[in-house]
Parts: sequence; C-alpha cells; structure tokens
Amino acid sequence: MTEDSLMKRRAEEPIIAVENLCKQVTTSEGTLTILTSVNFSIKPGETVAVTGASGSGKSTLLGLLAGLDVPTSGIIRLAGVSLAELDEDGRAYLRSQYVGFVFQSFQLLPSFTAQENVMLPLELIAAADPGLKARALLERVGLEHRLQHYPRQLSGGEQQRVALARAFVTLPKLLLADEPTGNLDSKTGRTIIELLFELNQEKNTTLVLVTHDEALASRCERMIRLEAGTIQEEV
Amino acid sequence: MRYRYFTLALRLLARDWRSGELSILAAGLLIAVASSTAISLLGDRLRQTMVGQAAEFLAADLVVSSHDALPDAWLARAQQLSLRHANTEEFSSVLVENDELLLTGVKAVSSGYPLRGYLRTTSGDITEEVKTVDIPAPGTAWVDGRVLSALNLKLGAEIAVGEQRLCLSRLLTYEPDRRGDLYSLSPRVMINQADLAATGILQPGSHVHYYDLFAGDEAALKTFKRWLKPQLNPGQRIVDIHEDRPEIGHALTRAERYLGLASIVVVLIAGVAIAMSTRRYTERHFDVTAMFRCLGAQQSSILRIYGWQFCILGALTSLAGCLVGWFIQLGLLSLLKGLLPQDLASASGLAVAFGLATGLMTLLGFALPPLLRLRRTSPLKVLRRDLEPLPSSAWIVYGLAMLSIAVLMWRYTDDLKMTTTLLLAGLSATLVLGSITWLLLKLSRLLLPHVGLSWRFGLQNLSRQPQTSISQILAFSVTLVAMVVSLVVRTELLADWKQQLPADAPNHFALNIFGKDLDGFKRLLAQEGVTSSAFYPIVRGRLIAVNGVDVHQLASKESQGEEAISRDLSLTWSASLPLDNKLVRGSWWTGEPFQVSVEQGLADSLHIKLKDELAFNISGQTLRATVRSIRSVRWDAMTPNFYMIFSPATLDAYPSTYLTSFYLPAQRKTALNHLVKAFPGITILEVDVLLEQFQRILKQVTLAIEYVLLFALAAGFTVLFAAVRSSLDARVYEDVLLRILGASRHLLRRSQLIEFAALGLFAGLLAAAIAELTIWALYSRVFALAYRFHWEIWLMTPAIGAVLVGVAGFWNTRSVVNASPQSTLQNL
Repeated sequence: MTEDSLMKRRAEEPIIAVENLCKQVTTSEGTLTILTSVNFSIKPGETVAVTGASGSGKSTLLGLLAGLDVPTSGIIRLAGVSLAELDEDGRAYLRSQYVGFVFQSFQLLPSFTAQENVMLPLELIAAADPGLKARALLERVGLEHRLQHYPRQLSGGEQQRVALARAFVTLPKLLLADEPTGNLDSKTGRTIIELLFELNQEKNTTLVLVTHDEALASRCERMIRLEAGTIQEEV
Repeated sequence: MRYRYFTLALRLLARDWRSGELSILAAGLLIAVASSTAISLLGDRLRQTMVGQAAEFLAADLVVSSHDALPDAWLARAQQLSLRHANTEEFSSVLVENDELLLTGVKAVSSGYPLRGYLRTTSGDITEEVKTVDIPAPGTAWVDGRVLSALNLKLGAEIAVGEQRLCLSRLLTYEPDRRGDLYSLSPRVMINQADLAATGILQPGSHVHYYDLFAGDEAALKTFKRWLKPQLNPGQRIVDIHEDRPEIGHALTRAERYLGLASIVVVLIAGVAIAMSTRRYTERHFDVTAMFRCLGAQQSSILRIYGWQFCILGALTSLAGCLVGWFIQLGLLSLLKGLLPQDLASASGLAVAFGLATGLMTLLGFALPPLLRLRRTSPLKVLRRDLEPLPSSAWIVYGLAMLSIAVLMWRYTDDLKMTTTLLLAGLSATLVLGSITWLLLKLSRLLLPHVGLSWRFGLQNLSRQPQTSISQILAFSVTLVAMVVSLVVRTELLADWKQQLPADAPNHFALNIFGKDLDGFKRLLAQEGVTSSAFYPIVRGRLIAVNGVDVHQLASKESQGEEAISRDLSLTWSASLPLDNKLVRGSWWTGEPFQVSVEQGLADSLHIKLKDELAFNISGQTLRATVRSIRSVRWDAMTPNFYMIFSPATLDAYPSTYLTSFYLPAQRKTALNHLVKAFPGITILEVDVLLEQFQRILKQVTLAIEYVLLFALAAGFTVLFAAVRSSLDARVYEDVLLRILGASRHLLRRSQLIEFAALGLFAGLLAAAIAELTIWALYSRVFALAYRFHWEIWLMTPAIGAVLVGVAGFWNTRSVVNASPQSTLQNL
C-alpha cells in the first residue's frame, strides 16, 4: 500500500467503520464470545467514549480497532482500509501512520528516559529532528525539567503525561486511549484528562476513549455503551 | 534512510547499556571470546612448539623422500620462499676390511644437515659423547661402534666406501632422523656429500634413497607443501612425523585432540551463558517490543533492530574478548615460563581471528533463536500483559546451537569423527535424560503434601514449570559435563602416558644377536643386573604380493603401505600375542604354520583382509602365508613392535637373529662397553636421548593440558554463577510477593537454598550420565584409551552440582531478602 492511495481514500471516508464485528476466543471450557455484531463508524475529529462494565469487551474492541488483534468475523476499516486485507506488518504500518495510544498502565519503556520514550515513535518512522520534537511536546505537558528522568523516577501522573506526549508526537489522526486515568488518583486523573482534551483539540485528533467512568465519558461528543459484547446504546 | 535501523539500534543499544540490561549478556560473550581466543592462542603456540620439537626427529620441518634427486625448480621454489635446505642420500653398501664383510647403511649428508636437532659423537668412550651440528669433514667418515668391532678397526683407520677411501674420525652415537623400525638397522656410516661422487656408487639404477630436508617459517612451509603435493610422482613422498615416528606422532595427535576438546568445552560453556543471558534479555524486552509493534514497527524491522544491536554488541565484545584472551594467554605462558623451551613459537594472527569468529559464531548459534522469538511478539501484549510470544521451535533453538557447535568442533579438531562422536553422544543422552528429568520433576509433586513449608516452596518452584526447569537443568548439566569430561580425560590421558612410559622404560635395543650368542648374552645381562624384555627372533624380508597382486599396485601414494613395501621389514614369529597388541579381527593361532598376523594400519592401507594370501621375498626365496588376524599395535610404547608376526615354525628355514630391549640408567652406561666387547657382532641402539626428548614433550603437553583444564574449569564456574543470575527475575518477583505477604527471611532463605540445590542435584545427575557416555565415546573412538566405569563421577557430580548451584543461587538472591520489597519491585 502506498501513502498516496491512503491519502485519497482518507479524505471522504470515516476514520473508523465497523461492520458486524464478532470476536470469539477458544478456552479450555469451550468458545467464549466477547463481541457480537458490533456496528458503528467514527468521523474524523470526533471524540467518542466506549463505556461498559469490566468484561464487557471494551479493551478487546480497542485492540481490534488498532489492528492489534484480528476479529473472528466482520469488517473494520481504518482510514478507509479494511484491516482484514492486511497482514500484521501491514497493520503495523497503518498504525505507524495514523494511530497514537495511551494506556492505563502507561507502558513506558523502563530503560528509556522521558525524552527517549517520546522520541521512539518518531525514530521508528525516521522522522526528522525527533529530539527537538519530543522536547517541545514534553515542555507542552509541563515536564521540561524531567527530560532525562527514567520512568521509575517519575510519579504516576508524570508517567502518564510522558505517555500523552508520546501519543501526540507523531500527530496521529486517531488517538486510542484505554482507561488513561485508571491507575491515577482522581485529582491527577482530572489533570491528565484536561491535558488529553486540550492536546486533542490542538492537534485536531479523533479520540476514542475506553473508560468505565461515566463522568469522563460524558465529556466526549458520543458514547458507545457495551454490555456483554454488544452495543446497548449510542448516545 | 538506509541506515535508519542501524542508528536506531545503536541508540537503543546505548540506552540498554546505560541501564545495565546488557551486562550479563556482554559478560557471557566476553568469557566465550576471551577463553576461546586464549585457548586458541595457547593451543596454537604450544602445538607449534611441540611440532617444532618433534621436527628434531626429522632433522627438518619438512622432508621429501624420493628415488631421484629433486628437480631444480623445486629447490628454486624453496629458495624463493626463504626455506633452508639440506639433503642426504642413503644406500646400503658392503664394507670389506681385514677379511671381514659388513652390510652397512651409508648416509651422505650435505652441509647444513641437520636443519633441526643435533648429532652426538664420541672419540671412543661412550660416556664422553658430545653434541654437534657439524658433519663429517670431506675425506672422513663417522660410524656406529659396531662397524669398528665387526671389521676389526680402530678410530683413525681408513675404510673404503665404494672406490673412495675415508678416515674414521669419530663414533656416531645419535642421529635425529634415523629411519625405519629402530631395531632392524644396518650399522651407520655417515660421510660428507662432497665424497659421494668419488665413491662411484651412484650409478643409474643403483638403489639410493634421496631425502631433501627443508626448514623455515611455518607459513612458507605450508605454501611450499601445498605447491609441492600435486607434483609428487609415485616414488616421491612428503615425510610426516606422524608416520615416520609413530611413537611421537601418536602422543602429539592425542595432545592436539585434547586441546581441541578443551576449546570445545569452553565454547560450549560460554554458549550456555550466552543462551541463558539472551533468554533473559529477550524476556525483559517483550514489553518494549510489543510497544514497538504497537507503534507500527514491522516484524522485519524488529528483527533488523535487534539484529543490528546484537551485531554491534557481538563485534565490540568480541574485540574486547580477543584483547582479554591475548593477555590471559600471555599470563598463562609466563606462569609456564621455566618449563617451556626458550624459543616458543610466536602467536599467530590467525588464532586471534579464530577467537573472534568463535565469538560471533557462538553468538549466532546461541543468541539467534531466543532473539527470533522477539519478532513474534504480539502488539496486543500492550493490552494483555500475560501474552508472551511462543518460544521458537525447538528445532531452530537446538538445531542452530548444535550446528554452530558442530562447525566450531570441526574447525578446532579438524576431526569429523570426534565431532560426530561428541555430538551424537551428547544429543542422545540429552534427549533421553531430559525426558527422565521431566518425569522426576512431575513425580516430585507427589512429595509436596508430605514436606515442610520451605521444602514445598523450593520444590514447587521447580515442578510448577517443568519446561523452564528442564532448560535450566540442561544448561547447568552441559556446563558440568564439560567440566567433568575435560577433568577425567586429562587425568586418564596423563595416567596412561605415565604408565606407558615408566621411569624404567626400555631405553636401549640390542639387535643382531645370533642364536649361538643368545644364552651368553642373557647371562652377561644378568651379571650386569640388567632386566630385558622378551627376545624376538628376526628375519628380514619384503612383502611383495597380496593374493598374487603386486603390492606396488595396491599402495596409494604417501600411505603407510607405500612406505612399508619399499623396504625390508623385520619379520618375527611368536606363539602368543605380544602384551601391548590387541586383536582387531580374526583369531590367534593354535599351532598351524604359514599363518600371519598383520598390523591394522598397514592392513587398512593395503586393503588386506582375513584369509588373504601374502607373499614375501626372504633372501631371494618366496614365502606364502595366510592372514589369520589383524592386530592393533601401540606404536607409542617403547617396546619392539612388528608389522608382521608369523605362526611358529613358519620361518624356521631362514637364518634369524634376535633382538631385545632393556633399561639402563645414564650412570651405568659403561655396561654397554662390556656388552660390546663380549659380543662385537651385536648392535646396541641407544634410544635414551630420543626417549628423553619424547618424555620432555609429554611433560610439556601434560603441563599445557593442566593449564587449559584449569582455564576450562574457571570458565565453567564463572558461567554457572552468571547463569544462575540470569534466571533470577521470576524467582525474585515471587520472593518479593511472599515477603510482602509476610514470609519470614528464614523461610525464604531455606526455600531458595532447597530450590537451587535441587536444581544443581538434578543437573549433576544428568551431567554424570551424559559425561559417562561421552567419556566412553571419546575413549573408544578418539583417544584409544581403555574405558572403565567411573563411579566417582556419579557420586561427585551431583554433589558438586548441588553445592555450586545452591551457593550461587543463595548468594545471588540474598539481596531480595535483605532489601526492602518496595525497592526490589521497582528495580524489576
């Protein structure tokens, strides 16, 4: 797939379109259905919350949307490209071009400093001046004095801010956030969410936010509620 | 763009280095390269030195034997390569003086002879001999004492060699390159080559052997040898120390094989260290890799990033390892200084290059499989932490490791037999015993309900994940096997040499004893207080045909067979099999005549089988005999050995003499004068100088082996320790959790000790079995040593394994119990 063909398809289509999505896993006790007939689409620039109780399939859905996993049946189009048509390497390429991530457990690389963690996605796509860009974004999230610190030397809130900087540094079209405040106290959580929405606005990113926090979900333009693997309502 | 992954890998490597992630891996690789370089260098220098010393027995580094003078172009080529050259011509000649006849072996030598070693001569009294590198002056001859007694001459008299009269100026007591079986020689007359033409003996068609001697730089010799080989015609051959002097050749071969074995042992140990530390490195990089994948890195990029990292790390560490290895080798040699010859061969750059290649090869074989696993890390792991990539297929993991070990073994030993023997023995033992261990681990679960808490924790850890435990047990076993095998082989190799060459090994041969003198000679020996070995009858004869086919059509160029059929052999008969000999095929006779037993090497070389009919020419008559058995002979024992032994009565029709060997200490040399005076017709051959030299070589080889062993053991201990360290992460994590849950320090310490000691015990048991099997394979196929069951291995190895691994584990986990759980968790 070339970059040109991707650009053409992108202009007119939703950034994400999901049709009849099903996900089953085989366990020792038989087949377990996690998602059934899920359908929705998300337009560029939208902010969407995916909510539901533990075990409702939120994180599985997020993994499928990012192409981290493959569905049992159904179609997912990311930027107009059907993920089913791509192999794992093709999906990886798509992610490197369009997707940014924020995780509940931060997922910073322990042997990398804050700045190096932010530089990494730029280095993987061989972008120019990774050091400068990373530094600028870390300053934007208020960590200019922590550039050379390792994750274990940072507080939870600071680690998540580094993760935000890493997610936005490649200017992704789509940001997937999985319970970004799940590991933080409520005050720090609020600060992080503020920062997330600010950056989202500044960089004009589409945001898909997985959370079980109704208050947080209500800050998004749309809400998709999952229950036992199916969409119960779209608000 | 092209160097994107390279620069990224470089930066990642620097970050990992800074954070200490690489230290164990780098240490493993450093040990591998440093030890293989050190052994490669040490082995190479010792081998070169030993070969150099052995060259003294050829009087040169390289000898070409021929029926004609060598073409000028060959000598020009040698000169071009700056090789020194000398030549000798050998032929038989009958001397007639004072109405006595004597068949002598005349040797004309050119100036420069001997190129290696020296001659010994006396002016009469055998106790006053002098070393010299001179040769007889033109117009003079140096002779064996027997020439004087047989022809009733004194030093200063003249003899006629052909048409030339020469003055007998000195007695020759030792010449380094005396060929043929030692005890069947005609007495020597050595003359200057300048007198050769004047003797008139060198006529077309006369039976003369030409030897061209070359000495010089090893590389130049190699080039010359390579250039020479294809041009040799059937009458010409390159004389090899292994064939020309089997007693020394065999010792050298075994020593070289041991050094080879030690190198493999060290590489194997280091390989284990590398495999274990790469495994740890890989496990600690699953999360990072999942994140790379999540951020869009493709599988090939992952492989390239880590591949580059390992290449850079491999190259840098190998270079450092080479340097360390160089210094270790210097250190070892300086320890050996007083015991090694002054002019030790210099280290070759090639040995260093091999050290480097070894490092990279070991890295490839042992690190690539775990590394390949990283490529398959699922990006989904960022969401589901428990998701670990499938391990690489066992075929890849073990196949690659085996392949790289096989290549290294082959390169070190240059010996396909040893390589396959070791690999097959090790592999089959590992498979069978690995399964047994798995079963034992499973069974040990049955014990759990009946033991105390610390025992339960300790044993549970092992049996819960049998696959992980087995791979650790295997890793420790390989290290222990390597250590045990090198220790046992060394001990028994040295014991075997010692037994073979006791302090009173025969150092003199007496030959040409006529039947009528036999009793008198035995009496005189007894009077002098000398004990001799058995007396063997000797008939001289030449093998001419096998099943009616001329032997010259059977022998390939440069083979042992070609050498043996081109001269007279000493034929003997015996009712019983000599002590040192072993029957390989066929059976010993029970009395029927015209049966013959053939030495194995010669039989193989001439394709002689049981029941073949051999024809011999003895004093112009033809004798036929049927092959009844094939024997192996210990050429490295200093006792009389024979290519052909006949059944009693077969040779009765031919005139025979007797030979024996005996030990005479240096201070009792005068006894020889009495023997020679009483029996002037007898030839006494003094091999004490040769024996001394042989023993000196063995002593140096022994010493080298001792140090190489020490080195292998040290490497083994270091690696065991490092390997324990690299398997700690999971255990530490569990121990911290246990501490958080309130487990006492005492409980944890005890369960850790039990776990590691049990791990070591299992590994030791496995190692004992594999070692026993490997030793059996090595002895029977490689070292030609007698195998016996080693019960001590079965006792010691499990005990040592339990103590070593137990202590290493106990020591390494002490920080977990002593530090705060919080800080340990943060550092994981």
